[in-house]
Amino acid sequence: MTKSRTLAFALVLSAVGNPVGLAQHGMPGGTPMTFFVTSDPIGDGGNLGGLAGADAHCQILATRVGAGDFAWRAYLSTQARPGKPAINARDRIGKGPWHNFNGVMIASSLAHLHGDTLELARMGNNLHKQTGLTEKGAIVPGLYDYLDPRDNDWEYVKTTPYSNRHEVLTGTQPGGTAYPPEFDYTCDNWTSNRDPDPELAQGPLVAGPNRPNAQIGFPDREGGGNGSWNSSHGTRGCSQEALPRTHGIGQFYCFAVTGENP
Amino acid sequence: MTKITLPNACAFFILLGSSHAVLAQGVGYHAPRNFIPVDLMSFFVTSEPIGDGGNLGGLEGADAHCQRLATNVGAGHRTWRAYLSTQARPGKPAINARDRIGDGPWYHARGVLRRPIIKSEIHGDTLIEAQRGANMFKAFALTEKGNEINGVGDPMPNLHDMLTGTQPDGRAFADSADRTCNNWTSNNEGTAQVGHSDRIGHGNQSWNSSHATTGCSQEDFAGWNGAGLFYCFAVN
Repeated sequence: MTKSRTLAFALVLSAVGNPVGLAQHGMPGGTPMTFFVTSDPIGDGGNLGGLAGADAHCQILATRVGAGDFAWRAYLSTQARPGKPAINARDRIGKGPWHNFNGVMIASSLAHLHGDTLELARMGNNLHKQTGLTEKGAIVPGLYDYLDPRDNDWEYVKTTPYSNRHEVLTGTQPGGTAYPPEFDYTCDNWTSNRDPDPELAQGPLVAGPNRPNAQIGFPDREGGGNGSWNSSHGTRGCSQEALPRTHGIGQFYCFAVTGENP
Repeated sequence: MTKITLPNACAFFILLGSSHAVLAQGVGYHAPRNFIPVDLMSFFVTSEPIGDGGNLGGLEGADAHCQRLATNVGAGHRTWRAYLSTQARPGKPAINARDRIGDGPWYHARGVLRRPIIKSEIHGDTLIEAQRGANMFKAFALTEKGNEINGVGDPMPNLHDMLTGTQPDGRAFADSADRTCNNWTSNNEGTAQVGHSDRIGHGNQSWNSSHATTGCSQEDFAGWNGAGLFYCFAVN
């Protein structure tokens, strides 16, 4: 069996039900969904309407699938501005635990999610390709699912739900905190759809002077030389057209605020 | 509401069937096609087990298995080491897997890696390296023949358990419990610490230290989704 067919088989199995013996007490009764990857982007690149716009997108998508009773937060940081302190993604999402569409636990706590100690970090959390599901229960197409030379082109990518789109906006450091304000990691705190000048849009995917940019992670934990779920590398810009050049479409993680004291 | 998207999934299947020519020439940031010749291969997963459970003939037997499989594909000019630890015995200190494999960096059989495997990163030597994770993905953990190992979500049997006998930091266990099938000589009693080549399972993503098996026979390993496969690294 070829790799492609193997993956197709895995996707079909996952779409139909339970390929790996994971708990099947998902949304219809059982453990409620408190984590998902947005099935759709907002569609204006890195301009999400700020954190408020991103949170509203989470809430809308959750409500459509009957999970609107939770308070949903986008897993995004913003960087400090004069008179405005930075906001850390990890401080926005409650204390956990968080479960996906199928009721499978993604992480038991903030420390587990982020790997706050060497021991926790080496083992990792439970967010991977089979668990990093959308609010509709779908796997986010990732590396090697459907290799296609056109999958860097937004005009093509928006026509197919299957091409690689595994880069998820976070604007966040691996530990879950915001970056210092010097360079842009957040598409100007999620208000910008601008791209850098063409000569600055080349080279390593790192933030720098005059480079509109977003830090991204991978729900399939493959790519960037590390597979970080929340902080692997940057983008080619902040326009909707720039994001697919490195295999993202502007999706992000949504967490329900759980574990708070009543 | 329903979570079943069968028509879409079927369409995907059909699409794939007609697109192999396209697949073969796919390009992209994460899937570069800078193929590295086999003589640059310096990391692989054994395509077959020794076949006697946790009895590998000790580290020597396991190293010889790596060397033989590498030689079969024209990579025998390198010195190969199995990524395995042994535990301390009276008069014999423990041996750490991470100390046996040279300094790297390492490339897999098909050279699809844009970035090679880096020792400090695969062991999470710093907090940020550990948080980001290892450059060790299912699609990169290839056999010496360049094939992927079946993992979670693939057709059974799932063979993703990799024998290591090793802690997440790459070192031998210091306690008295058996983690190495009696230093890779037992095919019945004992346990083996394993990692996952697809980095999925047991609620963690460790490639080298996810959980222990119960028992050391070939059948015991199969019961845990493994076949007694292990990682091989070239030291030079």
